[in-house]
Parts: sequence; C-alpha cells; structure tokens
Amino acid sequence: MILALLIILPAVLALTCYIIGQRSVALRKLIYNFTLFAELALSVVLLIDVLSNGKAEVFLPKICSMGVGFEADGFRAIYVLIAAFMWAMTGLFSNEYFDGHHNLNRYFMFNLFTLSATAGLFLSSDLFTALIFLELLSFTSYVWVVQEESNEALNAGDTYLAVSVIGGMVSLLGLFLLYTQLGTLKIAELSSAAASYGGSKASLLVSGILTAVGFFAKAGVYPLHIWLPKAHPVAPAPASALLSGILTKAGVFGTAVLTAQIFVGDKKWGYVILTLGVITMVLGALLALISVDLKRTLACSSMSQIGFITVGIAMTALLDADNTLAARGVSLHMVNHSLIKLVLFMIAGVVFMNLHKLNLNDIRGAGKKNPLLMICFLIGGLSISGVPFFSGYLSKTLIHESIVEYYAMNPSLAIKAAEWLFIISGGLTFAYMTKLFVCLFIENGEGVKPVSLNKLSKFAIGISSAVLFALGIFPNFFADGIADRMQGFFSAYAENVTVDCFSFENLRGALISLVIGALAYMFAVRKILMKTSSRGTEYVDYTSKCFDLDTMLYRPLINIIVGIIGMALNLANSLVDTVSALVRMSALKSLPLSSPKKHSKFSQWRKSMSKENMILSSSLSYGLVACGFGIILMLIFLLARA
Amino acid sequence: MLLVPIFLPIVCGVILLSSKRLKETSASKILTFASAAVSVISVFIICAAGGELKIWDITENVSIALRADGLSRVFSALTSVIWLIVGVYAFNYMSDDRAKNRFFGFYLISLGVLIGLDYSANAVTMYLFYELVTLASLPLVLHTLSKEAVSAAVKYLLYSVFGAFAGLFGIICLSNYSPSLDFKLGGSIDISAIAENRQLVLAAVFIMLLGFGVKAGLFPLQGWLPTAHPVAPAPASAVLSGIIAKAGVFASIRTIYYLVGTDFLKGTWVQETYLSLALFTVLLGSVMAYWEDNFKKRLAYSTVSQISYILFGIGLFNETAFTGGILHVVFHAVIKCALFMTAGAIIKQTGYTKVSQLRGIGKRMPVAMWCYTICSLALIGIPPTSGFVSKWYLCTGALSAESVGIIKYIGPVVLIVSALLTAGYLLPITTRGFFPGEGFEAGEKCEPSATTLVPMLILAAASVYFGVFQSGLISVITNIFSGAL
Repeated sequence: MILALLIILPAVLALTCYIIGQRSVALRKLIYNFTLFAELALSVVLLIDVLSNGKAEVFLPKICSMGVGFEADGFRAIYVLIAAFMWAMTGLFSNEYFDGHHNLNRYFMFNLFTLSATAGLFLSSDLFTALIFLELLSFTSYVWVVQEESNEALNAGDTYLAVSVIGGMVSLLGLFLLYTQLGTLKIAELSSAAASYGGSKASLLVSGILTAVGFFAKAGVYPLHIWLPKAHPVAPAPASALLSGILTKAGVFGTAVLTAQIFVGDKKWGYVILTLGVITMVLGALLALISVDLKRTLACSSMSQIGFITVGIAMTALLDADNTLAARGVSLHMVNHSLIKLVLFMIAGVVFMNLHKLNLNDIRGAGKKNPLLMICFLIGGLSISGVPFFSGYLSKTLIHESIVEYYAMNPSLAIKAAEWLFIISGGLTFAYMTKLFVCLFIENGEGVKPVSLNKLSKFAIGISSAVLFALGIFPNFFADGIADRMQGFFSAYAENVTVDCFSFENLRGALISLVIGALAYMFAVRKILMKTSSRGTEYVDYTSKCFDLDTMLYRPLINIIVGIIGMALNLANSLVDTVSALVRMSALKSLPLSSPKKHSKFSQWRKSMSKENMILSSSLSYGLVACGFGIILMLIFLLARA
Repeated sequence: MLLVPIFLPIVCGVILLSSKRLKETSASKILTFASAAVSVISVFIICAAGGELKIWDITENVSIALRADGLSRVFSALTSVIWLIVGVYAFNYMSDDRAKNRFFGFYLISLGVLIGLDYSANAVTMYLFYELVTLASLPLVLHTLSKEAVSAAVKYLLYSVFGAFAGLFGIICLSNYSPSLDFKLGGSIDISAIAENRQLVLAAVFIMLLGFGVKAGLFPLQGWLPTAHPVAPAPASAVLSGIIAKAGVFASIRTIYYLVGTDFLKGTWVQETYLSLALFTVLLGSVMAYWEDNFKKRLAYSTVSQISYILFGIGLFNETAFTGGILHVVFHAVIKCALFMTAGAIIKQTGYTKVSQLRGIGKRMPVAMWCYTICSLALIGIPPTSGFVSKWYLCTGALSAESVGIIKYIGPVVLIVSALLTAGYLLPITTRGFFPGEGFEAGEKCEPSATTLVPMLILAAASVYFGVFQSGLISVITNIFSGAL
C-alpha cells in the first residue's frame, strides 16, 4: 500500500501541479511542497514499517506483460527516505532559486515525475521493473538538463539523452540474455538461478556486463561519464543536486544488484568493475582539480566519488564471503555522497542565484560575509575529503580497509596500485575542495558582492548539513545503524562487523591522503593551475584544451559509422530502384503525361479536363489487365489439371 | 454476416464515387463515417461469433470462400478500428480538397477489400483480395495527381503487382500438394507427396514470401514505400503504412503458418534467408530514415524497418516471437498512424515538410507534438510503452528459437541497434521542437482543430495503454498460435 502510494502519489500530483500551475502559481507551490513532504512522511512510515515488520512486497502481475514488482528492505527504505529528504530540501530551496524563472510548470511536473520514477527504481524487486523506471528516469530528468534552454543546455541535454538511451537499450539487450539464461529477473531469485545455471560463466558475464551498461551510464562510470560534467553545470542547482546526489545512485543500485546477486566471488566481474571504478575515480578527481567552474568541479567530484563507490562494489565481488566491510563502506559512502552533494550543490545554487556566474575567477570571496554558508560548505568539504570526525572518513576508510583485506588474501601489484590510486584520489579530493573553499570564502574578488539567501533556503541548507555532520560525529550511533540495515543488500553473507574507526592504522591512511592533498593543492593548484598576471592571480582554464571524449570521439565516430553503413545501404536501396526503372521502361510505355505538342485549343482544353481521369483510368486499367492476366493464368492451369 | 463489413464499405464507396449530388455536402462525411462505423460493429460481432461462407466454386476443389478464424479476427478488428479513426482525422485534413469524394470513395473501398483479405479462407480468395487491395489503394497514392504522385503510384502498382504474381506463382506450385489450398494451422500441404520435389517447393515458397514481402517492404523490394508515402495525403500514408503494408505481413503469415506449415520450413535455407533479409531490412530502413530529411519519407523508411521486425518475428516459428510479431502488427499500426497524422497536421498547419524546418514546432503545436513524442517513445520501445512489449517478445523469442543458428543472437542485436537509430531519427524532432535554443522566435500557436487532435490523442493513449495492459491481447495471440481460436 505504502509502496504503491510512494510511486503513484508524486506522479498524480505532478499532473495536478502542471494543470493548476497554469492558473495559480501560489497554489502550485503549495501542491509541490505538499507532495514533497507527503512523500517524506510516507518514506519515514515505510522505514519504520520495514524496521519493525521486515520486508514489504507488492507484485502486480501482467502489467507491462512481465508484471512489475516492488519490495522494501532496509537498503531500499533508507534510500527512498534519502531521496524524499533530498527532494524536500531542494524543494524548499527551489522557492527562492526559481524566483523569476520561466517554464516552471514544466520543470515542477517533470521534477515530481522523476521523484516517482526514482522511488519506483529503488523499490523495484526485479530487474525488469528496474529497467522500466530507469528509462522513465532518463526521459523525465532530461527536461531538467534542458530547462534553461540555453545552447549549452541543449547540447548537454543531447549528450545526456544519447547516453541514457544507448545505455538503456544495451541494458535491455543484457536483460534479454539474462532472462533466457536464468529464466527469471526477480532479484531475490537471481542468486539461486545463477548458482544452478548450467551454461558457461563467460556468457553470464557478457549478459551481466551488457545489463550493467545502462546503470553505468546513469551512474557516470567511465567511459559513459561524459554527460556528468556537461549536464550538471547547465541544470538548475536544485536539479543538479538531485542529478548528482540521487540519480547517479540509481545507476549504482543496478550495479550493486547484479554484483551481489549474480557475481559475488566472480573474479573477472570484480576486476572489470574495479578497473572501471579506478579509472572513474582518478579521472574524476583530476578533472575536478583542473576545472574552473564551480558546478563543473562538483560534477567531476561526483564522478570521482561514484568511482570510489564502484571500487567498493568491486571489492564486494572480489572478497566473496568476507565482503561485509566493503558492503558497509559502499552503503555509507552512498549515503554520505548523496547528502554531501545536496549541501554543496545548494551552496553553488546560492552563488549562482546571486551572481549568475559560476566561473571561479568571477565568484571569488562570494561567501565571505556569510558564516552559515561557510560552515555548511566546510562540513560538506571536510566530509567528502575524508577528514576524521566527518562522515566521509568512515566510509572511505571502510572501502580502503576492504582493499587492504583483499591484498592480504591475494597480493598482487594491481591491487596495490588500486590501493594507492584510491589514497591519491582521496588526496586530490581534499585538494580540489580546498581550492573551492579558498576561492569562495578566503580570496578577495573585485566587484563580487557577497551572496545572501532567505530563511527557507538557510533552513534547507542548514538542516542538510546538520544531518551530514551528525552522521560523522556519532559514527557508532548513526553510521553503524545505517550500515547494519543496508549491508545485506550488497553482501550475500552479511554479518555484523564493528571496526574501530579511530585506530592508528585507519587514521594513518586518512592522514597520508590528506598530506597528498595538501601537497597537491600547494604545488599543483597554486603553482600550475593558477597564473599571476597583471590582474592578479587567476585560475587558468585547462579544461577546454582537454581531450573531450564526447565531441572529439563519440559524436564523430557515430556519424562516421552510421554514414558508412548509410552509404552502403543507400547503394542497396537504389540498386533495386534502378532495376525497377528498367522494368518500367520496357514493360510500360510512358504515361501520357508529357504536354501535347500540336493541338487545337479545343483539344487542349479537352485534354486538361480529362487529364485526371485519364491518368487514373490508364493506370487502373493497367492494373486490371495485370490482375486479369493473373486470373487467366490460374484458370488455364486449373483447367489443364482438371 | 461476413459479407457486411466487406461489401457495405465497397457499396458506399461506389456511391460516393458515382454520385454527383453528394459533392459539397456533409453527406459524404456522414456516409463515410456511418459505413466505417457499421463495419467496426459488424467486425466485432464477427469477432465474437465467428463465421464461414462459401461464395463460389470455381472448380470442384478451388472456391472463393470466407472464414473468420483467430488471425482474421485480430487483423480485421485492427483494420476497421484504425480505418474509422483515420477517417475522422481525414475529414478535416481533406476538407478543402476538391476531389475529396473520390478520396473517401476509394478509402471505403480499400476498407472493404482489406477486410475481405482478412476473411479469405483459402489462397485463391486471398490472392483475389490481395490484388484488389493494390488497385483500391492506388487512387489514394495517386490522389494529388501531381507528376510525382503519378510516378509514385505507378511504382507502387508495379511493385505490388510483381509481388502478387510472385505470390500467385507460389500458390500455383503449391496447389499440386494441396488441391483445395485451404488455410489450416500447421499447413494444408501434403508433405509426404513432396518428397523428391522438396527443393523446388522450397524455392516456390521463398518466391511467394518475397512476393508478399513487397507489400510489407521487405528488401529487396522495399522501394515503393518511401516513394509512395510522401506524395500521398497524410491519412492515406497513415493507413498505407499502418494497415495496407500489413496486408503483406498477413499474407506471409497465411503462407508460412496456414499453407505450408512451419514444420516443413523449420531449419531450411528458406527460413534462414528470410530472417536474414528481414534483419537486413530492419537495418536498412533505420539507417535510411536516419539520414532522410523529408519528414514523411523518414517515417516511411521507419515503416520499412518496423514491418521487418514483424517479419522477423513470424519467421522464427516459435510462440514467443510470433506473439511479438502480432503485437507489433497492432502496436505499429497504432503508432505509425499517429505519427503520420502528426506529420499531416504539421503540413496542413504550417506547410513544413522537412525535418530541418521543424525547429520550435513544439511551441506552436504542443498537443500534437506531445502525441508525436509519446508515439515516438513507443516506437523506439521505451518502457512502459507498447513498442517495448513487442520488442521484449521478439527478442526473447529470438533468443529461445531453435535451429536458426547465429541469427538467434544477431537478431536481438540488430533490433537494439535499430531501436537506437529510431531514437536518433525520431527524438531530435521532439527535442528541437520543444527546445529550439537561444535566439529562436517560435511563430504563433497553430494547434490543429479538435477533429484532427482527438484521433491522434486516442492513438497516442492507446500506444501507452497497450504497453501497460496487454495480457488480453497476448492470450488471444497465444490461442491463435496454438490453434484454439
């Protein structure tokens, strides 16, 4: 009941919002906010229900031919709650942010549709349902990206849509294969079906990877990350927060389901995911470091953090029966990253709302006179960098521990390298967050007026940061509780493990990371990425000189491939037409279409009058002759036989 | 009873064509609507009751006979409903056309003939109606009487007549092994009598399938579709693509499942070649549509590609794929009619025929473009729309198919690639239509009238409705496959 309501309520009210919005803006705002808080209340009820009564399930047979199913366990209930919380906070912030914007009815409608799709995705109990909601999610959130209708937004929207559609279709192909191989797509039945699967492991791996592509695309895993750095900066800030905080997690959700249910203990799968995760993690951090756009930096940071999470998921696969640590790390890092990006993107939204600029050179010192903003940014920044006593520290440490654990079981150079890249990426995180903090709150900008925000926005940002802060400062109370409920989703053999998170071993890893970060900031950012010119020091934009996969490889490649195939097929297409033209010339004398050469006026007039009928009758008669010819042939044959 | 939906529209059509008094009055609309509506009702009565009727014995074995079995019920119900909806749309579209009575006359005759095709009980009757479909629909292509229209119509005629003759050749060859040429599920030919002539019969069947494939736009004879569609009036293109091209599919199903039998064809070179041709056509249609700028021509190429999905499904000879094929017959008819209606509405309101002119069109005709968007998502196969369901059945059917070798895997890949291309040629119209970009001044609103929009909305709603609730349809198709209906 609650499950269905969580999905249906926002969808129904989305339409209401749009229709009412045509008449009254105030009423629309009311309905929109009501929906968000109703959803939040429902998800709290769901969580309490799940905690006290265990799983809840709904299955609607025959809908969409396969039937769609929903269930709620600890992970799902918590994630729906986080989604609802994020929507509610961005909803509060939207009130001020969207003041004076256009096309808001459209935005709010699609915003609520996406909420419905997100809830549906996280609650889905089979991969079929998950795919349906993944596709819905892609299309409804496309409207967020293009909301501002600027040329960059349209360009980013195209990339986003293309990546989503391609990903979704490849996933569909994977699901076809999985379904024929395993005979089920129900998440609860996947692991037993995979265990008793008679065919080769390799074919299962292929279908698994194909299925994962759509989820990778949504999560922003390399090489499908291309939409992230483009779409986030152009989308409205509340939408960026959701895109980055929760929609990428939808992709993680699918990857985690595949890993936990089918590929636990599968080394090949583990290494594939690990490789992709490490590349995403390092590349995202580097891109964030060189970026000079506030929201783009945060977007690249999201990509990097998704890389961390993906590495953790790879560890749950590789560690097999001992994967509890990794599972807890992944759970917590997902939660942390959602909340961190909620706070940071809202702050970026405040900056943009006031200054209408995002380039770091134009927004220096924007937050200087605003201690609340500074504290909130600090909480977010320190959390994401993994500084002890902040929430990100615990989750990163757990994932790091799991890599160390696997290295102890299976010492190889690759794992050692992955561990070091993990630490370095953590350091780079610290470096680019320092860069942003220094730019926004320490440096002095010329002609940059300090930002201001209203009470509702302050409340939204403040509450989000407070939750984030509480997660980090009381790890045993909040974090462990969340991890206990969520780990079962990632790990087939979940057991309760407690880690002394403030032991020397664990603190050392974080400290190394922070030292690397500090060095990176001192030398890379201050020396290389900033140039001193006549106008003082400036952040130099290297991103435009970078190799852009999207415009420089993917788009030309698609055009070339489709073009070559097109030319070949065009030949095939016209070849037959040429033959038919020959047939026409020999079989049918040209119709009396050509203008008459020498005729009296009367006959010309007559001709034009009867032209229509003549054309009609001549072609009709030809058809009739042909038809009669056929019937005669048939009759002769039949008579001959008789 | 069986004669009502066949001859009522034909008679009404002839009245429209011959009567001079009906011109410039609304009587023609009323007549068209009434006879189409009566056809729908009688078709549905027949769907419930069934029926059989022998009209004329040509020889002692061969006769002209009608019968409503499961397959004919699905096709005739689809045909009559779509015909009625497109007919309503056509009232407005053709309103300022001088020769609208001629259009509606032939429009009605085509309906009667198509239903006759659906009800035909043996191959000879089917051939008769098959030829008549071509002749009755020819004036629809010809309608504008421009030079392009005439040459397109001639092309259509030649292709179709060639195809029908190829079909006839097959029928004659097969009549040796099945004197009555009756349609019976599982095949009515006597396989034991074929023994030494196996290859010859296979070749005949192949030629027959190619011949019926012409109407369905199967490579290598797909050429008429992209030529005929752009010149025909939009309602005509809608039914040409949605229903008339399906006549080829219908004839192919009759040939494969009811005349020859899948047991005889399973695993032969005929099946393999047929499937390969279908897949090649799927790709060809999509790629050509991707590069095509003329809106209606793009949709026509899309039809080439989509109908081959169906041919692929019915060529796999298993229940799941067959279900997918028939589902796609229904869904594609609904979707493609709505898409052509949008194209027609745009032409009527703005005169734009090229995709490159359609920037910002969503701001001017939002409702129409919403219909277009929903239908294109359905055609691509985005869940939870109808195209997704048929694709699901087609692909899982392909993967579980026996004795088709590597095609089993190539098939789904080709279908997915084609779906991506479909997204590539349909979605930009939506995205650029609704989001034209900076510095673009959209013109005034020019939403078409209600009689144009309502049929489009009905079809767009149907394309989503069938995506969510289709279990009834699926059980009907399963019964057809197993012979229970």
